[in-house]
Amino acid sequence: MDTIAYFNIILRLAIWFLLTADFSLANIIIGVSIAFLLPRSYTSPGKLKDWLRVLWEIVIAIPQAYIEAIQIMLLPHNQEEIVLERVKPQRTPGLIFLDIFLITFTPKTIVLKYHERGWYEVHRVRRGKRHNKDIERSSLMEKSNEEMTQ
Amino acid sequence: MIEILSYICIVIGIIFWFWGTLPLIGNRSVLFKLHSLSVADTLGSMSIIIGLLLKIPSEWSLLLLAIISLAIWNTVLGYVLAYCSSSGGNND
Repeated sequence: MDTIAYFNIILRLAIWFLLTADFSLANIIIGVSIAFLLPRSYTSPGKLKDWLRVLWEIVIAIPQAYIEAIQIMLLPHNQEEIVLERVKPQRTPGLIFLDIFLITFTPKTIVLKYHERGWYEVHRVRRGKRHNKDIERSSLMEKSNEEMTQ
Repeated sequence: MIEILSYICIVIGIIFWFWGTLPLIGNRSVLFKLHSLSVADTLGSMSIIIGLLLKIPSEWSLLLLAIISLAIWNTVLGYVLAYCSSSGGNND
């Protein structure tokens, strides 16, 4: 079994035991059999090291998200921009999902789109006053990105 | 002591809620509103539940499940809304 399958089953078992909060033998048997019986689609395996790094990054992202939230609240972040971020090489769909999750989880950045050629389109707010030009420019950028991908 | 800490968490959560939800009325881009909503809905609600977790630790399993679902669903739906808000068409 590859790593993603292990994480899949661990996630199912964790949800089951959190939901039932019952460690009797019968409940453990039910939980384990449900975790294995539920259908799962075939996914390409990723490297264990990549998975562990992403999971660690999620742990770090929680305080990071609160820090960003407080920054946004105290200082006006009125500039919006769309930037393209490169996807790290050899990402499997599961890892890409977690990458998108990580970027979107923090309040300052939201992933708009994932281009299969290896780009995330990220919308981000920055400090500074609001300019209409910025908004125009960002919509222009968006158009040029679309042309690029077509 | 823990009582005070839990109330602090809940109050922070409520402040986040109001701060993030009120800009919905203003005229900014959808994406800008999504940024402030992720402060309100994800982080504010998580903070309120952490406050509840300190107050009623006996229900830790369900509250932890609630935190996990909030983090996952709010973020994923935020991404879905952002994806839908950008001009449709080209689905690559």
